[in-house]
Amino acid sequence: MGILKRVRDGLGIMLAVAVKELIQFRRYPSWVIAVFIWPLLFPIMSVFSARALAGPEGQALHAFAALSGTTDYTGYIIVGLVMWMWLNMTLWTLGSFMRSEQIRGTLEATWLCPVSRLGVLLGATCSQLLISMVNLTVSLIAFRYIWGFRIVGDLGLTALLFILSAAAVYGLGIAFASLVMWVKEANAMVFLVRGLFMVFCGMTYPLAVLPGWMRIVSRGLPLTYSIDGIRAVALAGAGLADVMGHIAALAAFAVVTLVAGFVAFRWTERRVLRTGALGHH
Amino acid sequence: MNERQDAVEVVGLRKVFERRARRGLLRRAQGEEKTLIAVDGIDFRVKRGEIFGLLGPNGAGKTTTIKMLCTLLSPTSGTARVAGHDVVREAAKVRCSLGTVLTGERSVYWKLTGRENLRYYAALYRIPRRKARERIAELLERLELAGRADELVEKYSSGMKQRLALARALLPSPPILLLDEPTVGLDPQAARNLRQTIFDLKAEGKTVLLTTHYMAEADELCDRIAIIDQGRIIALDSPAALKEGLGAKEVVRLEIQGEPNGLGDALRALALVESVAVRPSANGAGTCELQVITSNSRRSIGPIIESVRAAGHEVVHLQVVQPTLEDVFIRLTGKSLRD
Ligand SMILES: Nc1ncnc2c1ncn2[C@@H]1O[C@H](COP(=O)(O)OP(=O)(O)OP(=O)(O)O)[C@@H](O)[C@H]1O
Ligand SMILES: [Mg+2]
Repeated sequence: MGILKRVRDGLGIMLAVAVKELIQFRRYPSWVIAVFIWPLLFPIMSVFSARALAGPEGQALHAFAALSGTTDYTGYIIVGLVMWMWLNMTLWTLGSFMRSEQIRGTLEATWLCPVSRLGVLLGATCSQLLISMVNLTVSLIAFRYIWGFRIVGDLGLTALLFILSAAAVYGLGIAFASLVMWVKEANAMVFLVRGLFMVFCGMTYPLAVLPGWMRIVSRGLPLTYSIDGIRAVALAGAGLADVMGHIAALAAFAVVTLVAGFVAFRWTERRVLRTGALGHH
Repeated sequence: MNERQDAVEVVGLRKVFERRARRGLLRRAQGEEKTLIAVDGIDFRVKRGEIFGLLGPNGAGKTTTIKMLCTLLSPTSGTARVAGHDVVREAAKVRCSLGTVLTGERSVYWKLTGRENLRYYAALYRIPRRKARERIAELLERLELAGRADELVEKYSSGMKQRLALARALLPSPPILLLDEPTVGLDPQAARNLRQTIFDLKAEGKTVLLTTHYMAEADELCDRIAIIDQGRIIALDSPAALKEGLGAKEVVRLEIQGEPNGLGDALRALALVESVAVRPSANGAGTCELQVITSNSRRSIGPIIESVRAAGHEVVHLQVVQPTLEDVFIRLTGKSLRD
């Protein structure tokens, strides 16, 4: 089979899966909450906590600025939360995609087709990407009007950092989906992983407030670099030279997590063939 | 597949599962390892154009066999070829020549309509869009789903879901169909209709390999049957030949009060009695059922009843019947298919 035909087949399968996922997504009424309400509600708590800690006239902001380099704590929190929500959604969607197909009994039917199984998972990734983009757009527009959130720096550079982060996150997501297939449990795993990222990536606070050993852990997580880099560019107008380190780190993470994701998936595929773990027991 | 080749060819097929005691979230660590032999070296061939049945009780290894044939499970040892392709080395080719229905109603998406389901699977089979549209319309019509094709599957009855699953399997026009317990959970009418559909498929020249634990169904549907128990094939022939193989014209079924200690041997000693199987009856009344295979019931029924009485038992019920596949099974294994 020619390579061109294989690519076309692969894309066709991804599209079919993405369309099917979107149709199903729309048929569960809770989708409105996931896309429109949750991303707006979520940052409110952190922003008001910050306001309370800053004091009525913002007296404590100097201390914050000394650690974070900015007094715009709203923008600071929003960048952290948006990135974390992206991670959260990816893990949920990819992890629960495999799991729910497994429970429904449709995973075996899908596996019976002469298709690339990775293509099926990538299809689910595409539909997830679309949903996340809508989610992100809605949040950014709303934050602009509610909190006056604005990207002041270079949009292209922000986008680059974002795309590299997304790639790393999808690698994690694919590895995660593989894990879920044989642990047969998505919820606890999502809570664990996103909890780690929530604490260690400086979602709402500068890493400088963390004890030393925690800062070391932080350096091992891709989201740390995404959040820090995007804050620097989007909020403080940093240039390419300032975030070169971030870009390099994120690119490395993207390569490592994507490779790890694919390897984990292939490995799971083989294991499942031996144990029959595809069905629900 | 060339003209003379068998549709399915299974040689020494075995599947051993490793079992670990499971507990907790990370459930491995201290689990003791055990192995379970689900399929224990089976051989059979399914000829092109025939309906072949795997008949056996729960846990016999029917589903495991089907899953190895459709490439969802890898065999521990032995080989299997489907349409001439090896299920391990040529898995993609095997998948292209097979239509498989495993857990019928669970293999379709309940939040999609019937048509959307078929459209999705047609894309996975890479059927070009225009051709897919025609094929889907034709299959919906044929399986009597056309009227409700645009309703969500969650509103379908079990029979409709089962038919939709069959339509899914038929999408790529496969020469061979694997059906795992196709009529389980269907009402008698729906089951009858599905059996008719299976006959129609055979008439079109398709090969059907199905599993069932309903003897009557196997008897009615199948050209040949492999009786499978505890992972082994214990008999393989046409239904008529299997029944003839009992070498008897009649089966006397007795239900007696109490434990039949030694009664079996007493009965076996009688002239004309060929075999006796004893098991507790399923009705919960504390009685036992005896299956006595005799070459002449008119002449042996008197002595049989006398022996039962002489052993101090009361006959609660008595039937003289033509042998069924169930009798074949009881004869071979000493237990009922329904247990
Ligand atoms: N994935 C698996 N892992 C471990 N053991 C399994 C697995 N699948 C099946 N088994 C075991 O293998 C044996 C055969 O199971 P199988 O499902 O093939 O039986 P079956 O003949 O289809 O029975 P039923 O009529 O209940 O469907 C059973 O003891 C079952 O518990
Ligand atoms: Mg079964």
